[in-house]
Amino acid sequence: MNVTWEITEACNLRCTHCLSAELWTERRGELDLDQCRALIDELARMEVFQVNFGGGEPFLRHDFLDILRYAHYRGITTCVSTNGTLLNDALVDELLRVAPVYLQVSLDGARAETNDAIRGRGTFARILAGIELLSEHGYPDLSLNMVVTRLNVDEIADFNRLARRHGAKTRLSRFRPSGAACSIWEDYRLTRDQLLALSAFLGDHSEILTGDSFFALTPESRRALGLNMCGAAKMTCAVAPDGSIYPCAFLCAPAFLAGNVTHEPFESIFRSSPVLERFRELEVDTCRSCDRFSVCHGGCPAVACFLTESLDHPDPECLRAVMSVKEAVPVTEAMPVKEAVPVREAIPAQEVA
Amino acid sequence: MPDWVRVRRESFGLLFYDTRSTRLTFVRSGDSLAPPPFTGPRRALLVNPVDEGRRPAVSRLLQSLVAKGLIVAPEPQ
Repeated sequence: MNVTWEITEACNLRCTHCLSAELWTERRGELDLDQCRALIDELARMEVFQVNFGGGEPFLRHDFLDILRYAHYRGITTCVSTNGTLLNDALVDELLRVAPVYLQVSLDGARAETNDAIRGRGTFARILAGIELLSEHGYPDLSLNMVVTRLNVDEIADFNRLARRHGAKTRLSRFRPSGAACSIWEDYRLTRDQLLALSAFLGDHSEILTGDSFFALTPESRRALGLNMCGAAKMTCAVAPDGSIYPCAFLCAPAFLAGNVTHEPFESIFRSSPVLERFRELEVDTCRSCDRFSVCHGGCPAVACFLTESLDHPDPECLRAVMSVKEAVPVTEAMPVKEAVPVREAIPAQEVA
Repeated sequence: MPDWVRVRRESFGLLFYDTRSTRLTFVRSGDSLAPPPFTGPRRALLVNPVDEGRRPAVSRLLQSLVAKGLIVAPEPQ
């Protein structure tokens, strides 16, 4: 029902945690405009509700507005993940004409030094200029997205205030070991206590958006440290710039290639690919006794796969795996506990095997 | 159906999508409701014939969808 489409490999930033960087060591090309329109036609026939465009930086594609317009013409709602540095008055006016285009501007901290350590020197000011421009135009469908890492987790409250000041929603994304993030995983990943604090914060701020397989949607479930079920291959999948199809944007390695729309119709790939079929059947048996199994099914396979080399492994960042519910629920008490312990170290192998 | 709503058939019934909020609404309607075309003018949700005993439940379901702004009640003829 929704599709993530990395529309281009090109990007004007070099973020240290980019999920797409290092996935394509050599340029493999991009679908041209006709191919993009053909794919949109097929998505519309399949009654896809929403396409989430990312990249790379989508606005570097000269024909991206044509692609957006065509998706809307076919009745598909669009969301664009952008770094905001290429926005100008003319572009914002055009986006307002295509509306509703849900814009998600990536910013990785409430302070320049924090963001710039991740997204590059001087980017905080450039991104903020884009956000201010959108704010001046009264852009109605705006969210600011922060990938939560050890570097910026203490700035979430300030980040939320910054977003509200600009009439934007806050969206927090989970840091996952994909692309360039693999090499910095141990340095950036949240400690167990930081995850607990984040869970508590989300429980108190139900207005904050999160991605699926991150924290649950309701405050009660967030406080109970719940993850959401992975929608890969069930409710969503990812399209790479060259038309390759993968279960999700965090699993774009060759082992997870389901097919390519330049060789086979999207619908055929989505319905029949053995790779995607495997994901549809995925259930982590060791999680069955958990009271949230029906809504979680084991969490994020991408994180599990990177850390354990197994898709059938419980999400290593599920705190329920290392704490009893009795311990886990009163998170506000649990926050100031002892020294931070990286989650992977805290999971006894016999409990999660 | 309002222009801003999309709906598709699923195994459990119908899945509604509000383009104004990107919110999904899962409706366990079984085979009692039939979705209109995905897009286009004058789309209408069709109510299939159901047993007398199920009518109150279907009626409540329709009222709930009206309350959520996912459908609008038809004008009296």
